[in-house]
Amino acid sequence: MPKAPCLTVRTAYVLEHMLKHFLLALFALLTAPAFAASVSQQPNTRVELVSEVKAPAPGQRFSIGLVMTPKPGWHTYWKYPGDSGIETRATWANAPGMAVSPFRYPVPETYVISGIMNHVYGHENVLLAEVDVPQNASGALPLQVKLDWLVCDDQICVPESATLLLPLTTGDGRADPAQQARFADARAALPRTLTEPARFASEKGRIRIEIPLAGTEQIRAAHFFAIADDTLLFAAPQTITRTDSALIIEADAVPASSPQAVEGLLRIERADGVMGLEVRATLGAVAAGQPLAASAGAASVTSAFLTAFGLALLGGLVLNLMPCVFPILSLKALSLARSGHSEAAARKEGLAYTAGVVLVTTLLGAAAIMLARAGAGAGWAFQLQDPRVILLLMLLTLAIGLNFAGLFEMQLGGVSAGQALAAKPGAKGAFWTGTLAAFVATPCTGPFMAGALGAALVLPPVAGLAVFAGLGLGLALPFLAIGFVPALRRRLPKPGAWMVTFRRILVVPMLLTALALAWVLGRQAGAEGLTLGLLFALIVGLGLWWLGLRQHGSGRTLLPAAVAIVAALLAPAALARLPQSAAAEPQAGSGLASVAFSPEKLAALNAASTPTFLYFTADWCLTCKVNEKGALASDAVAQAFEKAGVTVMVGDWTRPDPAIARFLEQRGRAGIPLYLFYAADGTVEELPQILTVDQLTKLARPG
Amino acid sequence: MIKTFLAAAAIVIAAPALANAVVGQPAPAFSATDSMGRTQSLAAYKGKPVILEWTNADCPFVKKFYSGGDMQKLQTEARKQGAVWLTINSGAPGKQGHLDPAAINAKMKAQGSAPTAYIADPTGEIGKAFGARTTPHLFVIDSAGTLVYAGAIDDQPTADPADIGKGRNYAMAALADVKAGKPVQVATSRAYGCSVKY
Repeated sequence: MPKAPCLTVRTAYVLEHMLKHFLLALFALLTAPAFAASVSQQPNTRVELVSEVKAPAPGQRFSIGLVMTPKPGWHTYWKYPGDSGIETRATWANAPGMAVSPFRYPVPETYVISGIMNHVYGHENVLLAEVDVPQNASGALPLQVKLDWLVCDDQICVPESATLLLPLTTGDGRADPAQQARFADARAALPRTLTEPARFASEKGRIRIEIPLAGTEQIRAAHFFAIADDTLLFAAPQTITRTDSALIIEADAVPASSPQAVEGLLRIERADGVMGLEVRATLGAVAAGQPLAASAGAASVTSAFLTAFGLALLGGLVLNLMPCVFPILSLKALSLARSGHSEAAARKEGLAYTAGVVLVTTLLGAAAIMLARAGAGAGWAFQLQDPRVILLLMLLTLAIGLNFAGLFEMQLGGVSAGQALAAKPGAKGAFWTGTLAAFVATPCTGPFMAGALGAALVLPPVAGLAVFAGLGLGLALPFLAIGFVPALRRRLPKPGAWMVTFRRILVVPMLLTALALAWVLGRQAGAEGLTLGLLFALIVGLGLWWLGLRQHGSGRTLLPAAVAIVAALLAPAALARLPQSAAAEPQAGSGLASVAFSPEKLAALNAASTPTFLYFTADWCLTCKVNEKGALASDAVAQAFEKAGVTVMVGDWTRPDPAIARFLEQRGRAGIPLYLFYAADGTVEELPQILTVDQLTKLARPG
Repeated sequence: MIKTFLAAAAIVIAAPALANAVVGQPAPAFSATDSMGRTQSLAAYKGKPVILEWTNADCPFVKKFYSGGDMQKLQTEARKQGAVWLTINSGAPGKQGHLDPAAINAKMKAQGSAPTAYIADPTGEIGKAFGARTTPHLFVIDSAGTLVYAGAIDDQPTADPADIGKGRNYAMAALADVKAGKPVQVATSRAYGCSVKY
């Protein structure tokens, strides 16, 4: 009981304390702007302020993003909005000393209504800005911004505004893992800067801009978003042409304008996505271009498909004459012409053969498409990049050659001797012959059909598969015709003793194919690999010899059998030693051994005082490619670097890479080419964009 | 997908290109019937400066100037200086802001608008001849019939009435230059606002 009053007093105190805090909190809430949250849902747009860092450290520079999501059918605007529209404006009210950079905008889209061009985003877009935290910052670091933007659909425009508050506090400055993906995507959507000089010319009311770029044959479509309104008319149709080293944009100029420079953003659509490049062009001569690659034209998927399909069909047809296929096909055809085949059986064999061929080409095509989609950069005949596949093909062609030579015969199911491997009768035999022909045909297909099959990889998957099937159909067509047209069969020479001679002659193209494959194997796997391959060839030869001796009923089979068994036992061990793939070689196109760029690795190299040559490249960067084929490919440079223990590090920016983007940002460099030399003494030198051998070898010289 | 693309391409091609009236050259001639049924032609106003104002009463950037009576004031002021002020609406029937003559007159009465005339241009013929892209979009023609200014009304590209008078009113400045017989200082600017609903 005596304790009760005390308790009461204490409770009252606590209550009073709580009430005070509650009122203070309420007061703070009421005095804050009405929408001061980090997210605001306006009638047509949702806006959200996000930070890459949850608790920024004093002195840190970190990124924030403004995520703008217009309603479906609505759009917000690029910084330079085109004929109408307005950029998004921000008025910051931050903690003292907090400086926020202007927004960086992602690559926009065009939106034309009634001849009025709008540079817009019709979907979620993230504007990025950098925030500098003062050195003496501590405690709360709120970022508050009043935003005004315009959001329109095809009919009306609505200005919207919101005030957003990001309640940050100082801390360890670590990146927020929850935001990592969003910021990576946002950086990937930013345009990159082309530091190579672009040129433009204006005459007769037209402006032509030449933008240096590599890989222009991969470009399907492009648009140049002009910044100023005194260069090219925003809404004027743009004619895009290309040379091997540039993209050329041509459009009507703004009447009576005489710009001294044309600035803008080039949006490029390639099979692997969309990218933007910031461009500044000055007056100069502009080359004449050719139309964009037909197979890359986004406007004509159908015609691209028909072209690719037609080429594939034709290519398949021609493949029949290739040394890898012709022997198989001709013997098979002759066997079909043999008397005793009924019409129905001939047709059935023709269809079965076709099925076998089409199945293999389609399956290989499907695998190629899947690999290409997965970003493995594989093309048709990807399987030929694997030396083991080359080895298999070589052994197969060797076996076929030896079969033709009469070393052994195929005897399955008691079929009469004298049949060639590729000439088993019956639908089943025809099917397997088809698969064999298609598989053996692949080494001939690769170089021969590159165009059409390359196109097949960028077409929609179903269309791409159809192109591969078309290749198979072309390959099977002659045999199919022979199966279905009796007149053709009758025209084929009557089988007879001459066929044995013919078969022996066909050994030559078959073994030539094997020889060509052996050469490829040597290129891929080196002398050691080639030697192993030839050892396998020996095993196969001995094995087949043994088989042949048995078939001929000879008793002396022991010696070859023993050799074959010993060799076969050794083979698995040897196989394991074959290099997996030729891709293990250092960076193609450059004589320098290099490691891939990573900021951590670079920091480690710097910490270890290892001289490091760091450069960034991309498939589309022309100067980069020129340097890689020139100075960087020189043996003198490679030797000098090796002597001086220089590590070469390469950042490939062909695809957006947040780590590279951030590195360039930190160096205050928006674009590539960029060549940096980190000397052992810790100094960093930025090299000019055009590299020379002298320059590079000098770097590697000690002192 | 191909169909959609072709349809989109067809629309883009079918849309007549916007011409661009060139500053320093004779303004494109036109003759049209205003909301009162009178014929308005540019040629008839030779000898007087003419201001063309593209409008769309539902556009927030137009409302910015009409809601507080600012555009009305500019119209009165310009006419007092001896200029002709033609308000033009190139909105197509069925699109936002399109008005027939009766509705135009009612709107003008309600807003207290004071242009010399208000012309409905539902086919967009006049708008396209001048290259009018936004509402508002202003053009100033000197007394010789030469286009001397094309662009925004002022340098405050917002829809906020509070920004009116903060910066420079390009159209009125151009008119002042014309009246003073001086070359127009700022002869072009980037028009801002909603797109003209052709």
